[in-house]
Amino acid sequence: MNLLEISNIEKSFGDLRVLKDISISVNETEVISIIGPSGSGKSTLLRCMTMLEAIDGGSMNYCGEQAVTSKNGLPVYASKNQLKQIRRYFGLVFQNFNLFPHYSVIKNITDAPIHVQKRSKDEIYKEAKVLLKKMGLEDKANYYPYQLSGGQQQRIAIARALAMKPKMLFFDEPTSALDPELTAEILKVLRNLADEKMTMIIVTHEIEFARSISDRVIFMDGGVIVEEGKPADVIDNPKNERTKAFLKKMSV
Amino acid sequence: MNLKRLLLRYITSVLLIVYICTAMLTLCHADDRSFTVGFDAEFPPYGYKDESGEYVGFDLDLAEEVCARKGWILKKQPIDWNSKDMELKTGAIDCIWNGFTMNGREDKYTWSTPYIDNSQVVVVKKDSGIYDLSGLSGKIVAVQADSSALAALTGSDADEENIKLAQSFAELQQVGDYNSAFLNLESGAIDAICMDIGVANYEIKSRGNLFTMLDKHISSEEYGIGFLLGNTELRNEVQEVLFEMLGDGTFIRIAEKWGLESSICLSEEDSYIDNVTTENNQSFIEKLINISSQLAGGLGASLAIFLLTLLFSMPLGLLIASGRMSKFTPLRWIVKIYISIVRGTPLMLQLLVVFFGPYFVFGINTTSSYRFYAVIIGFTLNYAAYFAEIYRSGIQAVHKGQYEASYILGYTKRQRFFKIIFPQMVKNIIPSVTNEVITLVKDTSLAFAISYTEMFTLAKQVAAAETTIMPLFIAGVFYYIFNFIVAFIMEYIEKKLNYFR
Repeated sequence: MNLLEISNIEKSFGDLRVLKDISISVNETEVISIIGPSGSGKSTLLRCMTMLEAIDGGSMNYCGEQAVTSKNGLPVYASKNQLKQIRRYFGLVFQNFNLFPHYSVIKNITDAPIHVQKRSKDEIYKEAKVLLKKMGLEDKANYYPYQLSGGQQQRIAIARALAMKPKMLFFDEPTSALDPELTAEILKVLRNLADEKMTMIIVTHEIEFARSISDRVIFMDGGVIVEEGKPADVIDNPKNERTKAFLKKMSV
Repeated sequence: MNLKRLLLRYITSVLLIVYICTAMLTLCHADDRSFTVGFDAEFPPYGYKDESGEYVGFDLDLAEEVCARKGWILKKQPIDWNSKDMELKTGAIDCIWNGFTMNGREDKYTWSTPYIDNSQVVVVKKDSGIYDLSGLSGKIVAVQADSSALAALTGSDADEENIKLAQSFAELQQVGDYNSAFLNLESGAIDAICMDIGVANYEIKSRGNLFTMLDKHISSEEYGIGFLLGNTELRNEVQEVLFEMLGDGTFIRIAEKWGLESSICLSEEDSYIDNVTTENNQSFIEKLINISSQLAGGLGASLAIFLLTLLFSMPLGLLIASGRMSKFTPLRWIVKIYISIVRGTPLMLQLLVVFFGPYFVFGINTTSSYRFYAVIIGFTLNYAAYFAEIYRSGIQAVHKGQYEASYILGYTKRQRFFKIIFPQMVKNIIPSVTNEVITLVKDTSLAFAISYTEMFTLAKQVAAAETTIMPLFIAGVFYYIFNFIVAFIMEYIEKKLNYFR
């Protein structure tokens, strides 16, 4: 079954068409990287898929549930309650982590499962401990975000997203705000998640990483998908001139 | 080179101008002696502001005539009645000439001979059902602060009958000026006013005969011109001219102009009461303790205003802030206008509107207990608007990512605000809130605008009664300590919130 199915997405900011007729489907356990130059629309696409931005045209379907349908060319969003249900299927990891600064690490991870999903506290705390251990941060449970490095904060943000038990995870340039030496620790975490068959859609600038982790790479430029396929094709043997130019620039 | 010359020329001309100005000022002083009369500008017909905005009145006309004959320049200086002694002591005014009652104040000033015989009377509303002094029992009666009526009722020289009368009142309220006293009387917040007969006649006539005077007078008394104790030289000069004016009929003419011919009593047979300064035997420490304990009573009132205003305005501010940020445009505009009005007009005016509005707009009779509620309502409405804007800035300073993260995690709007945004807002606004709270401590003194007696009003009254500015300084110390504690508490909260960044 397709976890995510988006068709003919359109998005404009004023007169500027940022996304033009984008269609993607994501299979369970698939890892997809979206690459492309700045301003190509990849971050906007991610924000549309996570419903932080409303789309201007097209349809979106999560795990077989219709979030947006297209009627006479205009998008119609499902009811508030349905959307709330649909949002449970995915999580999002931000470029700037966006941890809650006034909550300790453990509270950042456990608060939403307890108060949004109304799951049992004991169960959540046990899971949170496991997640922290997995992130190599079991000793930081009672720290506050400002006491942690960027890499540590991002790992907590990933743990926070995982605690909601989503079916898929979106990553919005998860290493862009980090120093190079901290990038590696995040990439390692993502690789582990891929090994555990987590479905992931990653917007990234790390070409090498995208090549090694992805099942599929999408190259975007100017609001359209220019090239799409296995890393061996898109990254190692690009057919389109724009892809070639971008990869050449990135490798310098 | 050019610049240097320009600079030199500039300096020279500035020096020249300064020299000329100084010379002119000195000349003015040398040639024209000024005579500054201090008066309460709300005391018709003796001294007040007329419809054209001029200061006029019987006493001012007399002063004008005296100055004309002496070749002095008259300066009319309206003063705050409570500060009259300080004005005189510091030399800011030369005399108090303003229907100034001598009785009970004989030792405090160097007096002219009495020129007006005045009595203290009681004014009530026409339909009040009060016909004699016994009808005042259980009623709320107002007097002007530090006025002769107050002295006649409660002062050290008050006779027994009057003291008993004052005790029969439900409350003896001190008001700042007669205009507000009559507004209070008309709106029903008070039942009667004790005041000078001349002023009473004038007020009753000019207010369309809504009011009436009781037949029995509380006391009779005389008006004189008050000079600084010991300043007999100036007193003699003025007195001489007054007798001259009496002799040639000018004095009577001026009295007739103001309808006071039946009250005048100036006579050359009267002699001065020349007194010696009586030293107050109270030691400094005794005085300090005495005044402090008097002010402590007012501190409670100030504290009540402070605490209740915070209690109501802080949550109300949150409600207003949410209206200010509402997506519903009409609501947003209403709130915007409200905030704009509250911030754009004086708090003192807002207090007056809240207190007198119910009567003068809706015809609802106000009671005296409403006075305190009006203070709290006025302060709350005012401070809530300021807090709302502080909250708004604090909310808008919370990073957009916090909203997005809580949206993705599925928090409801309510949860998002109270769990995620609110705690961060609180941390953001602590410095501004501290500012606002400290301002509130000092603003409590504005309650005097509607005659609510808090600490500062009390300090002014005590200062007037004891002719010293010590109470004002002590009040200042009280405010400072109050704010010191406030700042300490706010700093503590700020430190407590340092657990996150």
